[in-house]
Amino acid sequence: MRKKRLSIAAAAALLLGLTACGDNGGSSDEIAIGAVHPLSGPLAGVGGMMNDGAELAVDDINAAGGIKSIHGAKLTLMDGDSEGSAAVGQTEARRLVSDGAVALIGTYQSDVTENVAAMAERSDVPLVIDVAIDDKILSHGYKYVFRIQPNASTMGASGAEVLSQIGKATGQDVTKVSYMHIEGAFGESTYQAFRKEAEKQGIQVVRNVSYPATNFSDATTAVTQALSGDPDVLVVSGYYPDNLLIAEAVKAINPNIKAVFGIASGAYDDTSFPSDGGAAANGVLSANYHYSATSKRAQDIRKRFQEKYGRPMETAAMLSYQAVEVIAAGLEKSGSNDPVALQNAIANIRIDDTLLEFKGPIEFDDKGENKNATVIVTQVQKGRIEQVFPEEFATSDLIFPARDH
Amino acid sequence: MSKTTNFSPEQTSAHPPLLKRRQTRIILATIAVAVLLVAGVYLLGGQPTRLVNQALISGVLLGGVYALVSLGLTLIFGVLHIVNFAQGAMLTLSMYTVFMLSTQAGLNPYLAAVLTIPIMFAFGWAFQAGIMNRVMGDTSHERPLLVTLGLSLLIINGLLMAFGGRPAAVESPLAGSISLFGTLVDRPRLIACLGALVVGALLTLVLRKTPLGLAIRAVAANDTGAALVGVNVKRIYAMTFGLGAVCVAVAGGLMAPFTSLIPTAGEQFTTLAFVIVVLGGLGSIPGALVGGLIVGLVQTVGSLYLPGGGSLLLVFVLFLLVLFLRPQGLFGAKQ
Repeated sequence: MRKKRLSIAAAAALLLGLTACGDNGGSSDEIAIGAVHPLSGPLAGVGGMMNDGAELAVDDINAAGGIKSIHGAKLTLMDGDSEGSAAVGQTEARRLVSDGAVALIGTYQSDVTENVAAMAERSDVPLVIDVAIDDKILSHGYKYVFRIQPNASTMGASGAEVLSQIGKATGQDVTKVSYMHIEGAFGESTYQAFRKEAEKQGIQVVRNVSYPATNFSDATTAVTQALSGDPDVLVVSGYYPDNLLIAEAVKAINPNIKAVFGIASGAYDDTSFPSDGGAAANGVLSANYHYSATSKRAQDIRKRFQEKYGRPMETAAMLSYQAVEVIAAGLEKSGSNDPVALQNAIANIRIDDTLLEFKGPIEFDDKGENKNATVIVTQVQKGRIEQVFPEEFATSDLIFPARDH
Repeated sequence: MSKTTNFSPEQTSAHPPLLKRRQTRIILATIAVAVLLVAGVYLLGGQPTRLVNQALISGVLLGGVYALVSLGLTLIFGVLHIVNFAQGAMLTLSMYTVFMLSTQAGLNPYLAAVLTIPIMFAFGWAFQAGIMNRVMGDTSHERPLLVTLGLSLLIINGLLMAFGGRPAAVESPLAGSISLFGTLVDRPRLIACLGALVVGALLTLVLRKTPLGLAIRAVAANDTGAALVGVNVKRIYAMTFGLGAVCVAVAGGLMAPFTSLIPTAGEQFTTLAFVIVVLGGLGSIPGALVGGLIVGLVQTVGSLYLPGGGSLLLVFVLFLLVLFLRPQGLFGAKQ
């Protein structure tokens, strides 16, 4: 009953949306990009921020003269609200495409992206994924789907690699770790990739504790369980609230470990983590894709984002900005607003001045993955998120062991 | 309207005991089963003793939090016979009220929680008196239910508009933990757990010892009868919803220090609170307390064996088992 009424309301809202956006497409000197993000529901905070990031990119490109190879055509952004649900996300994506979007960006969640990607492929409209980690999305041989961030197995594996490198660089060998991850495709695939690479690096996973994505309001027991294997480092993959709880539980238990090390953690490189976590946040390491704190251009964008929207621009929003830039560069290269030509252009694109700390330019392989996507390590130091490893991206010195017991 | 709640007519005699003999028996039986299960976990579970200790302590604390959330729901359920879908959203609303009072006005969060009580009472009273009493005819049970669903959507999206969806935090001056038998007892959670007991006791006292409580129990038992002897039923409905909102205010105030505040933060408790209320018996206050404790313990201790969502599975298996053996819930009155 509840579902049914909601879906009637959603259908009504959709109809309204259709009539409102009806006159958006069509015009030849305006090119529409569709953005699908969770604008309501539990993920509305990050979804709205990502939309703002995309909007800022569109404004910047228009202010710089639009798409020059198409007579300075201006970009417009059309919003779709996935409500955090795969079915709604797919419907919204279809609406945006039928309203004339030549390309899509999105969607923050792996399951939603999976559906939107299938829709994009069938409609021959390119989808540039800003955030979505699951390997499976690009395992179907899609031609029209591209991903800027590293996928789960890359992140798990490079997480193990950098952890081992950190141990060697500081002379503090890491041989035993416990792994805590959120239940579901994201946590599970990251963990599996980590374990495989860790074994190669001589790191043993002594405990693996998964916790539920909902109704997880106290982490003490789960953390105690993970620590019972007496690990050197506690590795964590998950979202914001749960990872904050884990850091707080570690602080309370005060175990003899060298560090809490997040991989693809939704909290440990977030700018609100140091103040929310307080002492619990101090020293926490995070291996994740990250906006480029060493790039002048990225700094300028973050500054203007803060001025315009009154809140800090997290990495997810920077990825949305970057996704719009990839599409704009594709349009510039193809010289037309035909989605099929755009697909071809994006598949062969090369963007040197990236806004994220990657090991090279953005280039897509034949699966659509960014060849040079990589993780870097950040650490909470004196209430700030600092880039600490590898050295070429460092804004501050790494502190390891990160906890004084 | 079903009259299966605990506020039954025979309890309206002058000074009933706070717990009846039947309830005492159920409590003893529940404790016996729990002790047996816990002993089983210690002796045959194959887990380190310290870990089981920690799981038990965390389970009791979590159970206290659940009980706190369920108290208001069981009251509204018991008297108004409405499933209040807005319970979780009202919990979030109280947390944000505490957040505003403590960050904007610089108040101690526990003082802010006390100030939230009259605010939420007024909110609950006004909602029932202004809207719910109009739609609570005897023809449709769906209308009030849908109105509470609407209220929950309104609160969640209103909070989203006002505060955005980025997580916010309330800092507790009492943050930290106490060491007990080699385990950790988180202080804010302990306070919330004790809060549940205090609220449960106060609620029982109000219901059993005051004229208002007498009227509430009369309305719960038979609203037509109560109206005939001169009870203003609509006023009692409003007072009850107000009291239910007060329970949520206390819950929100005590939980804010250890919750990441987002507009949907309270939603995850709604489903479990329903389970607890039905498990304990509709409208029963000891039922909500014991039910909360059971669900908290099963979830936490169960997570040692079934990681991830498996512990919730155990909760629902137990729920089905109780419904099968005792359909009216542990402390529910017989139909």
